[in-house]
Amino acid sequence: MVAAIASDHAVRGSTLTLREVSHRFDLEGQPLPVLDRISLQVGRGEFVALLGPSGCGKSTLLRLVAGLDTPTAGSLLTEGREIEAPDPSRVVVFQDPTLYPWRTVWSNVALGLEARGLLRTHRGRIEDALRLVGLTGFANAYPHQLSGGMAQRAALARALVNDPKLLILDEPLGQLDSLTRIAMQAELVSLWQRSSFTALLVTHDVEEALLLAGRVIVLSDRPARIKAEVVNSQPYPRHRGDPHFVELRREVFEQLGLDEAW
Amino acid sequence: MSSVIDEVPRPSEQSGFGFFESSTTRSLIGGLSVAAAWSMVAAFTAFWPDRPESDWAYTGGFAIACGALALALAVAALAGVRFVAFQRLQRLSPWLFALAMFLAAWEAVTAKLGLLPLPFFPPPQAIVEVAIDDWGRLAEGIFASARLLATGYLLGAAVGFVTGVAIGWSRRAGYWIHPVLRFIGPLPATAWLPLAFFVFPSSFSASIFLIALATGFPVTVLTWSGIAGVKSAYYDIARTLGATQRFLVLKVAIPAAMPHVFVGLFMGLGNSFAVLVVAEMLGVKAGLGWYLQWAQGWAAYANMYAALLLMAFLCSGLITLLFSLRDRLLSWQKGLVRW
Ligand SMILES: Nc1ncnc2c1ncn2[C@@H]1O[C@H](COP(=O)(O)OP(=O)(O)OP(=O)(O)O)[C@@H](O)[C@H]1O
Ligand SMILES: [Mg+2]
Repeated sequence: MVAAIASDHAVRGSTLTLREVSHRFDLEGQPLPVLDRISLQVGRGEFVALLGPSGCGKSTLLRLVAGLDTPTAGSLLTEGREIEAPDPSRVVVFQDPTLYPWRTVWSNVALGLEARGLLRTHRGRIEDALRLVGLTGFANAYPHQLSGGMAQRAALARALVNDPKLLILDEPLGQLDSLTRIAMQAELVSLWQRSSFTALLVTHDVEEALLLAGRVIVLSDRPARIKAEVVNSQPYPRHRGDPHFVELRREVFEQLGLDEAW
Repeated sequence: MSSVIDEVPRPSEQSGFGFFESSTTRSLIGGLSVAAAWSMVAAFTAFWPDRPESDWAYTGGFAIACGALALALAVAALAGVRFVAFQRLQRLSPWLFALAMFLAAWEAVTAKLGLLPLPFFPPPQAIVEVAIDDWGRLAEGIFASARLLATGYLLGAAVGFVTGVAIGWSRRAGYWIHPVLRFIGPLPATAWLPLAFFVFPSSFSASIFLIALATGFPVTVLTWSGIAGVKSAYYDIARTLGATQRFLVLKVAIPAAMPHVFVGLFMGLGNSFAVLVVAEMLGVKAGLGWYLQWAQGWAAYANMYAALLLMAFLCSGLITLLFSLRDRLLSWQKGLVRW
């Protein structure tokens, strides 16, 4: 079923470059610096995780990458071209699922195809995406009939049907129970391996970051700066008990300032 | 009796005892007492003579109608023992009972005792008389009112909806339309009446304009506020998935604003009734509003009550129609809001 989604086109992931990106909000007249000169180079088909404390600016950074906002300073490029507006090749799974309450799960997932006029030719992908996230039986349910975790999985399916070149994930598995979470992590990895899109994942879960990503970027408190970068070149599937994995986990916790707990 | 019977354990397959199941029994008793009440109204109308100086032509007819209704209700109550569909009807029993009591009282204080002054308070059979003798003109009135109302309402709703979407969506449209709306909108549509009747070529078109105006204002304002209140996250989602402006308006903004739009449509419908009656009374010389005024002019109060009754049916029927349209279009809201 993963193959069905991935094999339609041989998608090649796109590159992503952040050059000295800074961002500031206005909070009641006071400037609130959120991002502080973030520079990052993500290669084609790479899986990068962003890890940082709550409120440090991760979601803000993802909105900039998606093209929904423009940075106060610095520039973001994909495939060497400046990101100016949202584009369906860069799909976001937001922190909050935000399904349209007036559409069934099926038509929520169909949204991207419908918006681009591809519904007639690519209809089958919706079924595949729903199967991938385990929501086949709920195609005709309305969002208010779903649990929080099911809504999140529906939002994931809504992103996956679009065959993105860059998949931007903002804590997409945050509300899932640990078992479903492990299953979805495995699905994400195998999906990523097959369709070779570039993935940018925000998570609070150190293990999740290390299980999925090739590189984990540790961010500081607000305003977010890149504090450290931990590379994990272990082959997939990775195992939590593996000594090298345990070592990497300790390293990341140390970077987050939690070393004394270990 | 039911408490005793309920305590006796009995095998469930003895279906003959189903008759004594307490809820069935209760609804049968309810249904039969309603039928009894209506037959009482019939008997009372038929056998208690009208006041000697009055000459109501349809006292007998009214009694027969009540009797026929009583018979039908009795049959329905008995059918309820066997068919669940008829049992549902029993929910109406208290209302049907109250209605019978009301008619009996009305009959008593008018035709039988003559307690209420006469041309103003005719007995029920006078209204039956109007319905039978003047049904042609009443039907014409309903038709004329419905046509005027439908044309004006649909026009106003459509224009209001489009205007509301335009102001909600486009800053420039908002800049120009918003002040006009602010200034003119709160003016009651009937204030335009004198002007409209001389500017428009016919009183019919003038009335359409007034009804459309009365409908359009609330529809515009609520559509606008609905569109303005759409969560920006909804747009973010669609934009990252490649939506065009057109898609954002038609598939995101409008569906999200629909609950508000319906509030506007309900308010507009209420306004349009008020303007309809005034316009018919003052200008159109047709329709139920005009009939009302005509009846009053000739002191034909029974005709007036008949027209009022029909108007109530027309208005509440249209409201019901709009409710069922809403239920159909906004069924996704079930479970999300108190329905
Ligand atoms: N539209 C906005 N206007 C003003 N301030 C904002 C806005 N959006 C975010 N912020 C501020 O920017 C900071 C970073 O927010 P952001 O949502 O990026 O955090 P985050 O790292 O994703 O946190 P979490 O892990 O809890 O989701 C917060 O302090 C927040 O108050
Ligand atoms: Mg966030």
